[in-house]
Amino acid sequence: MSDPGASWAVPDPARLALRIRLRAVQMVAAQGFGYLGQALSSAEQVAALFAVARPGVDRIVCSPGHYVIAFYAAAAETGLLPGAALASYGQDGSALEAIGSERSPVLDYVCGSLGQGLSAAAGFALSDRLRGRETRTFALVSDGELEEGQVWEAAMFAAHHQLSGLTVLLDANNSQVDGPVDSVTTIEPIAAKWAAFGWGTAEVDGHDVAAVARALTAAPVSTRPSVVIGRTSTRRGLDCLPPDADGHFIKLPAELAATAVRELIARLEQAGA
Amino acid sequence: MHEPPYPVALKPYGQALVDLARHRPEVVCLSGDLTRQCEVDLFQAEFPGRFIQAGMAEANMMGVAAALGRSGHLPFVHTFGVFATRRPLDQIISAIGYPRLPVRIIGFMPGLSSPGGPSHQAIDDVALMRAVPGMTVLDVADAVEVRQVCAAIADLPGPVYVRLKRGEVPVMFGDDHVLSLDRAQVLSRGGDAALFASGMMLAPALAAARVLGEHGTAVSVVNVPVLKPLDTGTVLDVAAAARVVLAAENHLVSGGLGTAVAEALAEAGLGRPLRRIGLRDAFAEGARSAGYLFGRYGLSAQSIVATAWQALGRPGPVPEVRLPAADPGEYAPV
Repeated sequence: MSDPGASWAVPDPARLALRIRLRAVQMVAAQGFGYLGQALSSAEQVAALFAVARPGVDRIVCSPGHYVIAFYAAAAETGLLPGAALASYGQDGSALEAIGSERSPVLDYVCGSLGQGLSAAAGFALSDRLRGRETRTFALVSDGELEEGQVWEAAMFAAHHQLSGLTVLLDANNSQVDGPVDSVTTIEPIAAKWAAFGWGTAEVDGHDVAAVARALTAAPVSTRPSVVIGRTSTRRGLDCLPPDADGHFIKLPAELAATAVRELIARLEQAGA
Repeated sequence: MHEPPYPVALKPYGQALVDLARHRPEVVCLSGDLTRQCEVDLFQAEFPGRFIQAGMAEANMMGVAAALGRSGHLPFVHTFGVFATRRPLDQIISAIGYPRLPVRIIGFMPGLSSPGGPSHQAIDDVALMRAVPGMTVLDVADAVEVRQVCAAIADLPGPVYVRLKRGEVPVMFGDDHVLSLDRAQVLSRGGDAALFASGMMLAPALAAARVLGEHGTAVSVVNVPVLKPLDTGTVLDVAAAARVVLAAENHLVSGGLGTAVAEALAEAGLGRPLRRIGLRDAFAEGARSAGYLFGRYGLSAQSIVATAWQALGRPGPVPEVRLPAADPGEYAPV
C-alpha cells in the first residue's frame, strides 16, 4: 500500500465497513466456513485504516494472517483488487490464501505465524526513519497475539527507539481458538500494559468507524509509538449468526450464508447506499 | 599455508564488516546485547547511525531485520550461534526464509568452542539453518576467510547464516587465499581417505592428515566453507578417488557436514564407508576450555586419526598425534 503509485479513496468509511462484511460473507460462503469473525470484528478498523493511511506513502501491516480476508475485501471495494479475484479466496492454486502468505496482494506485509507482525512494523518504521522519510506504519494486531512474548519484545524495542511513526491498531475482540481470550489468559489491563511499555494509548469502540479514524489520526506523538485499542465483537453486524458461533472459525452453510447476504444488503440499503 | 601453532588475528570479522559498510551504505548492523563479543563494537564506533541495538530479544531482532531487508537495507544480525538459531527459529523461517530476504545472520561461538555449557553451545545450528529453504550456510575456517566473508556474502540472493569462532582466530591460509563460495577447496590429495572438514575442524583435520601421511596413509583434505549449497561435484570427485570418506565438524554428526556428504554420496550411488567425526548425540558438559571439550567429545586430531585408522582396517596401534603447544597469541588445535 506504500508502493509509489498506489491510489485509493474512502469517501464513506462506514459504508466500506458494511461492504467488507458483505464481501467476507461471500468469500467464506464459497467454502461454508472460515475466518468470518475476524472480518466482522475488524471491519470498521480496516475501513478506518484505509481512510487514514496515505496511499503510496504509509505502510500497513496485518500481523494476524487470518484477518487478511478483511483487507482483501477492502481492497476489492477500493479498486486495489479486481472484485472477481475474491472468488478465488482460499481455493486451490489461489494467491489469496485464507491465512496470509508472501503471495498475498495489497498489504505491505501480512504474517502467518501469530505474534510476529509488530516486529516487522517496527522494522519498517525504523527503515523509514533511517532514510529520513516522514511516513507512518500501521499494524493491525489482535488481542490474542498479546500472549506471544515477541509482541512485548517488539513493544519495548519500538518504545526504546522512539519509533513515533508506528501506530498499532489492536483488535480486542476477546476471541481465540480455545474460546474467549479472558478465559484462556488474562491480558487485561491492555492499555496499562502498553502505557507501561512506553506507548501512547487510546481506547475506542472498535465498531465506531469515525472514532477509530479520529484516534488513528490523532495518535502520533513525537517521541513514542502509539496504540489504538478497539473493543469489538466477532459477531458484530450480522444478527443472523447463531449465538454460539465460534468467533475464530465460523461455520456458514449455504442457507445461513444467503440469510447473511440478505441482512447485509438490507443494512446497506438502510444506510442509503 | 601456515603450520601450527598458527598466528592469530583479533576481530577479523568486525573489521571485515566495517570495510564492507564503508562502500555499501545499505549495510545495517543489529546486535542482540552481544556487541563487543560479536566484534561489532567496531561497526558501532564507525557507523553509529547504522547500528541498531536490538537488546536481548532475538525473535524481535529477526523480525526487525526482515523488515529492514524487505525495505532495501542489507542487515547483518549478530548474537551467539545458539541464540541466533534455536530461539528465533520460527521468526527466521517465517519472516526471513520464506520471503527469501537478504538478511545475514552471524552466529558466534560455534559448537564446542564455548566453555559456557550446553546452553551456549551451538551444536545444532547448521542442522537448523540447512533446513530453512533458500538459506545459505557457511562455516569458515580461519581469519583469512573471515576477512573475506562479508564481501563474499553481501550480494548472495536470499538469507545467509555464518557461524564464526569468537575472539582469537587462527591464520591458517596465506594472504593469497581466496574464499570461494562455489567450490570446496582440495588442500591435499591422497587415495586412502577423503577427509572433509569445515570451520574449526580444518586445523585438526590437517594435523590428522599429516600424521596419517607419516604412517603410510594418504589423505585428501577438503575445506568445505559452504555447507549449503554443498559443492557436491568436488565431494564426489574426491570421495570417488578414496577408499573411505571422513567428515569432521564442530557440530552434532546429524544434520551438518557429515549428513550433507552422506546425502551427496547416497544420491550419486557412490558407495564408500563413511565415518562422521563430531558430537555424537550428546550435550557437552564440564569445561573450563574449549580444547578440553574437543578432546573429551571426540573432535580432536587424535580422534580423526583413530577413526581413519579403524575405517581403513589398518593393523597395529593408532599413530599418536603430537601437536605443538600454543604460546599466548598463537592457536593450535587439540
